[in-house]
Amino acid sequence: MASYQEASHSEPAKMEQIITEFFAKGLHIILESRCPYVSSRNYSCEQVLSSPSPSSSSSSSSSFWPRDKWFNLSLRDCPAALENIDLWRQSNLEPMIIDVILVQRPVNNDQIISSSKSGHARNFSGKERVYYSSDNEEFGSDTKREKIIERWVLQYESKRSGVSSGSKRSTCYSHILFNKLILLMRSLYATVRLLPAYKLFRDLNSSAQIRRYNLGHRVSSFVEPFTRIEEADMQRFVFTPVDTSCGRLCLSVLYHSSVLDVSSEPSTPISPQVIQEYVGSPLAEPLRKFSSRPMSQMSPASAPFGRRHSWGYDLYRASSPLLNPSPSPTYSESYASVSKQRSRLPPASLPRQLSENTPAIHVKNPSFDEYWPSPTFTPSPSASPPIYIPGSHVSNVLLRSESAPVSIPISSRAGISSLPNNQMLPPSPPMKATRSSVVKTDARSGLYKTSSTADKLLSFEKDEVGRMSRVESSSNISPPKSFSRSSSRFSYQDDYDDSEFSGPFVVDDDDMTDLGTRPGSFDQPGHPSGSREKGSLFPVRKSQHAAVGTLVQMLKKAPSLHQDISVTSNLLQGSKHEMPKNSNQDPDEISSTPREQQSTSVNFASSGLVSPKTTAGALEELCEYKEMKNSMLKQGVEVPFHIA
Amino acid sequence: MNCEVCQLKELEVEHFEIREVLRCILHTILFHRALGLVRPKDVDLELFEITYVQCGDMELERKIDEKIDQFIDRVEKHPNKKNQICLSFYEVKNKHATWFTNKVERLFWEHWYINLNVMQHPKTPSGKSHHSKLVVDPGVEARGARRAALEASLRDVLFQIIKFVNEKKDHVPSIPNVEGIPFPYEITISRCT
Repeated sequence: MASYQEASHSEPAKMEQIITEFFAKGLHIILESRCPYVSSRNYSCEQVLSSPSPSSSSSSSSSFWPRDKWFNLSLRDCPAALENIDLWRQSNLEPMIIDVILVQRPVNNDQIISSSKSGHARNFSGKERVYYSSDNEEFGSDTKREKIIERWVLQYESKRSGVSSGSKRSTCYSHILFNKLILLMRSLYATVRLLPAYKLFRDLNSSAQIRRYNLGHRVSSFVEPFTRIEEADMQRFVFTPVDTSCGRLCLSVLYHSSVLDVSSEPSTPISPQVIQEYVGSPLAEPLRKFSSRPMSQMSPASAPFGRRHSWGYDLYRASSPLLNPSPSPTYSESYASVSKQRSRLPPASLPRQLSENTPAIHVKNPSFDEYWPSPTFTPSPSASPPIYIPGSHVSNVLLRSESAPVSIPISSRAGISSLPNNQMLPPSPPMKATRSSVVKTDARSGLYKTSSTADKLLSFEKDEVGRMSRVESSSNISPPKSFSRSSSRFSYQDDYDDSEFSGPFVVDDDDMTDLGTRPGSFDQPGHPSGSREKGSLFPVRKSQHAAVGTLVQMLKKAPSLHQDISVTSNLLQGSKHEMPKNSNQDPDEISSTPREQQSTSVNFASSGLVSPKTTAGALEELCEYKEMKNSMLKQGVEVPFHIA
Repeated sequence: MNCEVCQLKELEVEHFEIREVLRCILHTILFHRALGLVRPKDVDLELFEITYVQCGDMELERKIDEKIDQFIDRVEKHPNKKNQICLSFYEVKNKHATWFTNKVERLFWEHWYINLNVMQHPKTPSGKSHHSKLVVDPGVEARGARRAALEASLRDVLFQIIKFVNEKKDHVPSIPNVEGIPFPYEITISRCT
């Protein structure tokens, strides 16, 4: 841009140039503070090169790019202004009307807005250009709402009479005009930052959040005037006109003072969207679903396990191809309470505005951590592999639900000393712990080696485990009951001596071997003399890792559940008479055919539905088991297999 | 040459708001009087949703901060009194220098009076914690309303400056071809009567 000194020496030429630069500078100042993506306030490459001060915008930092120094106001070039000034360079007589447009996206529209560096021009006519940033395109032309929040009018009103060129007086005029325009431009520069629309511009520039609005602009020489109603809602600010030799330069603005309401609307932080994608995936339903229900019965500390399920599922999905993909609406609902249910937002779709104008925001991992308060909750993923024992769908269900509670804080209680607090374990140890619990139960009962690890996980008491497995295999209702019982069992750990209950995670290799060869004999949960339990059931306290590995091996060698269920039903029938009829369901469960049980279990697993268990029901079941145990002890029931 | 005077609207501020309010007002005035080549710098206030403009002169910024510190000291020494800051622009007229005197006459062509009423916080009664808690809650709401009112008043003051600058241009001296502020100025602190 030619400096003032380089302009033509004739006075009329100087005047004309000053007037032209009035339009150019005015447009520059206005668009610079209203175009979010072309403003020199943005973090542009120029700033990168010149290491700007943090508090400055179009600041005093040195620049590699030429700056517009007209009217002693040094500003960086504004592409939007440069693209729009051509008309007024040709003719000063046309008014310049700059509309600042607020584009709002409806609340229902979840479309992601991505910023764009450059706008695009749609030429309506030779004298009018409409510029919108590409963000407006993201809004969609059908759903966005546009509102003119500011209308700037720059105009040169010429007079017929004027001072002849070449006179000394006219020379003074240009100098005086220039000085007065300096003052006018200073006022304009300060005013654009005090009007309400500037806050929207600043929020769009600096915010890391996805906004439901955007700013566009339109530069034209003629517009449809506002209606009286529209104008009544607007306020006018008129700058004092500056007289020239042949007329005067006028600058005014009509603006809405209520646009601040838009900026106060709730915006969508980016981080939660990414988290939801992670969390709300419907693919991890089975785990989530079951964990959601039992969680209500579990201690509050176990609740986060449910959330962890889906994460764990995602992590272990590749390694657990047998996971039941059935959706789990219950769990999804539970997730909804945690995070907003929104469409997936892949990292690549983050608004470019953010990458340009804001510091990098690492959304995924931190946000993920934010929504996953207990990163150490991993039993669910660890539990999943055991679930996939063929035919052990019921157990799978149980296992899933159980894993949430691997709130096996029970493990921290007496009797389960082999396993430290499960809830604090990283992924693999809990897995091992889980499997070790399965191994333990298998040691007690031939059933367990073939039943799912869920059975094993359900109870730390060998008696309870046995009973639960028995119940699980016999009835479609039992698994949840079992689970809940075991859950409640966990709560009532104090009822049992530690000697009788050294935890499910202690595994004896010998036991596992024996279990693998024995038919699924139903447990004698009862048994238990303390020494027997100590010596046989929990002969060796091994490391959790070893226990889990042993459990895995057991599960691999375990015969199908189908066989075990039939055996279990036989055993249940044998001890049926000893069971007090506190629950009407138990006898029915016991008497059900293995086929029914199996089909039930299969249906149960395939449907992925688990009837909710209450704590009271679990307690009842527990009492039944106790009674069964006692009765069997009294009768001196022989254990079909030897638990070494 | 006329000397124009602008009495800005009085603002009621709390002690911790003095610095931001004075910076905002003084820099806005000086931005409109630093008519040499400037690279404007936008500054967002921390206490209010207002962005004002500085002319980017570090020396000017330092001088303003010094004056603000003096004002704050004065307020602390003389509480419960209205204080005034006067920003004046002048031209230097050298009188005829004699052997014994070399008077330099200042011809003021513009005065800006910034009126601040610094509120003093009533001491919180020492007492039980629950009593002080009861006092705090309504105070917080009142402070929010007061802060909003102050922000609106500050915005009015800034528009007052802009309007004054626009309406009165003829008294401004010719602008030399220099950077920053071409006109000498002074900032004085006085007490309102």
